[in-house]
Amino acid sequence: MKAVGARLPRYDGIGHVTGRTSYVDDVRVPGLLQAKVLRSPHHHASITHLDTSRAEKLRGVRAVITHKDVPRNEVGLLEPQGFPADEPQLARDVVRYRGQPIVAVAAEDVDTAIEALELIDIQYEERPALFDMRLACEPDAPQAHEWGNVYPHFGPYNHRRVRKGDIEWAFERADTIVSGVYRPQAIEHVPLETQAALAIPEPDGRLTIYSCTQAMYYTLSIVATHLQLPMNRIKVIGGTVGGGFGGKVDSASDIVAALLALKSQRPVKWRWTREEEFLASSTRAAWHIELSDAVSSDGWILGRRMTTLHDAGAYARMSPYGLTKHAFHHTGAYTIPNLKFDGFAVFTNRVPTTAMRGFGVTSVSEATEIHMTRVAEVLGLSPWEIRLKNANRIGDTTGNLVAMQDPSTVRVTLAAAERIGLELAPGFRNMTGDRRSGDLLPEHLVAQQAPEGVHVLSRDATANGGGS
Amino acid sequence: MAKHQGRGFATIEYPTGMNQNGDPSQAWIKLKPDGRVDVFAGTVDIGQGSKTVHTQIVADTLGVPYDWVTMDNTNTDSSAVCTGTFASRGTFIGGNAVRYAADRVRERVLAIASEEMEIDPADLEIVEGEILPKGAPSKKMSLSEIADAATYKYGELISGQGTALKPLAEVSDHDGSVTVEPHSAISYAACVADVTVDDETGDVEVTRLISIYDVGRAINPLLVEGQIEGGAMMGIGLGLLEECYPHYPSAEHRGEQFGSYLAPALEQLPDLDNVILENPSADGPFGAKAIGEMANNAQPPAIIAAIHDAVGVWVTQLPASPERVLRAIRAKAAPRRDGKHVIFDEELSIRTVTSDGGAAFLNTP
Repeated sequence: MKAVGARLPRYDGIGHVTGRTSYVDDVRVPGLLQAKVLRSPHHHASITHLDTSRAEKLRGVRAVITHKDVPRNEVGLLEPQGFPADEPQLARDVVRYRGQPIVAVAAEDVDTAIEALELIDIQYEERPALFDMRLACEPDAPQAHEWGNVYPHFGPYNHRRVRKGDIEWAFERADTIVSGVYRPQAIEHVPLETQAALAIPEPDGRLTIYSCTQAMYYTLSIVATHLQLPMNRIKVIGGTVGGGFGGKVDSASDIVAALLALKSQRPVKWRWTREEEFLASSTRAAWHIELSDAVSSDGWILGRRMTTLHDAGAYARMSPYGLTKHAFHHTGAYTIPNLKFDGFAVFTNRVPTTAMRGFGVTSVSEATEIHMTRVAEVLGLSPWEIRLKNANRIGDTTGNLVAMQDPSTVRVTLAAAERIGLELAPGFRNMTGDRRSGDLLPEHLVAQQAPEGVHVLSRDATANGGGS
Repeated sequence: MAKHQGRGFATIEYPTGMNQNGDPSQAWIKLKPDGRVDVFAGTVDIGQGSKTVHTQIVADTLGVPYDWVTMDNTNTDSSAVCTGTFASRGTFIGGNAVRYAADRVRERVLAIASEEMEIDPADLEIVEGEILPKGAPSKKMSLSEIADAATYKYGELISGQGTALKPLAEVSDHDGSVTVEPHSAISYAACVADVTVDDETGDVEVTRLISIYDVGRAINPLLVEGQIEGGAMMGIGLGLLEECYPHYPSAEHRGEQFGSYLAPALEQLPDLDNVILENPSADGPFGAKAIGEMANNAQPPAIIAAIHDAVGVWVTQLPASPERVLRAIRAKAAPRRDGKHVIFDEELSIRTVTSDGGAAFLNTP
């Protein structure tokens, strides 16, 4: 029997549904301490006074840590990709979102740890907070981030750009220009297993971390960098996750548990409560997308102008990555020869946002597909046929001039039409994803076409992409 | 007061692997003395079934029964680098890593079998755990015998390692152009949504979702359907239910427990009609592409189009909650027309809400 193509059940399905799968919280070790973390009650504030001495003296408390105890407090999730670090593991003199960790405590039991948090003497001076990313550049806007309210590190730019063809030509030539605003919302990951880590200092000096991470090696690297330890001093145990959806990539719980374990020389578990998971864990970002399509009356999309604001929340985390992916896919499953895209990652005083299923592209699909149906309506055309007409075909290029090798826009669209018994006009019914020719290769699409065998088209080839 | 039926659809694409690449997955495989197969890879299974899929790929690449293969993905000591389970990269990139490793194990098995059987390795194949001379299958040996000979006669641990890595695509900050393809493959999907809209309550019910997915090759159709159906529910959450900040942009009134945050539940389960198309990729394992992340991307725009089809209004601030749908029905907003411009949603635009017409965001060179 061939295994590939077989409808084999998941190896772990029975364990999951009978409660026999072991997650981080199920691991039992002797001498375990419980961790709790003091989180900012304010959206934005200066920390003017911090004294943990009374908490440290509480009976049953084995370790208290602040930013001073983190060998390297700021580690960027995208540092290997060249994006600088901005987020402290434990806040130093300012908190930028409600729920930000400031002090962590390890104690013999949860109640003692909570009591210790109440003994921490901390004073804040509240600062104005920014929530509406559209207002980030207003003259009186609160400053959410030390870098300003707009992420500044896309080379010389403060935005991720795509430029293709001749956008001015497209908007001049257009019979109609359709504009819309799309606002995909922030949502929670809602895993059944909340963020959790168990760190064990081993007798040989190594550190074992049971982690709920979606990426063991990534977590190993992030933890080792915070702790300034070589990779062989840490063993990450994981591989099974009680719901991730992108929310368990950032190593939200591993580092604090590791630091407390090293300081107390006892095993430490940090398991977030349901309330912490909802209120302090990262979310999918909210997006604000302004989209204008230059179209001809017979349904060709000649050009697209798009401005995207991505709500990064209080720190950058994965935002530059997600925004770049968003930029690369902002034409959806269609070919548009002339493009001007600007994407801004905007800092606000919300919980930092991060990856979630479809990261960067879910918002594109939502905005551009709603817009596509609107454009069809404005032009009085079939929403199916306008999609098929502009569909990606072999040799068409994306915004960054990557050539389509075998796109399936036409294939899946026709299959959907057939499934609902929709009768398309003859020219559409038999369409394929093959190279453009004849009526489907109008003058304005010629320059963006890549020759056979070419995977990325040279920029010079489309300098006058309007084809006029 | 009436209920209105509507239908909408959307077509989407989604890339496989991390944007810009540079994200390795590595694996290594060893044989036990009875020929059973141990796979070590760092691919975390977040519930999508990647461990099952990796095992299937190894079984067929090596030519052994599925239940001969065991995968260990439990820790960073025994497993090599896996960048992580995200970016829809598990089956394609993690799967290629175990496939390459299995190819090497297969080469070593055939090399030792060649010695034992005195037949050129090019004339041997492995089928269901047996080494068969091509054209003379009766002269077969079992893989168990070969692994035993390797261990106790030749003194060799039959093993192999593999790395899947597509080189980093450099991006021009000026125009977004790239040096190489910034993905491994692209998957496609179309979704048709049927809804019922209550014009008195604003409530929207998704009654049916038809989903078409080109996943290249379905290594495990059961698990692909699991992704489609789980994604469909998350798509309904995005389209109709979920919101961290119910009074956005206010940061207050966040749901802090299951009772105050509207995640989709079985109550929302519509009729699901799933269609898997197989248009194989050039270099994924057995032609696979990806399904993971894209599975919640097509439903929200299909649902919004269906609401428009039902009651003639556009809701472009997601989710389309009953309140937003009712407000849209009452407002009956039409786009502003100015020459050849047709302008929707003007009240939401940066141009409208900022003091300078949104210059900081809109006036880029």
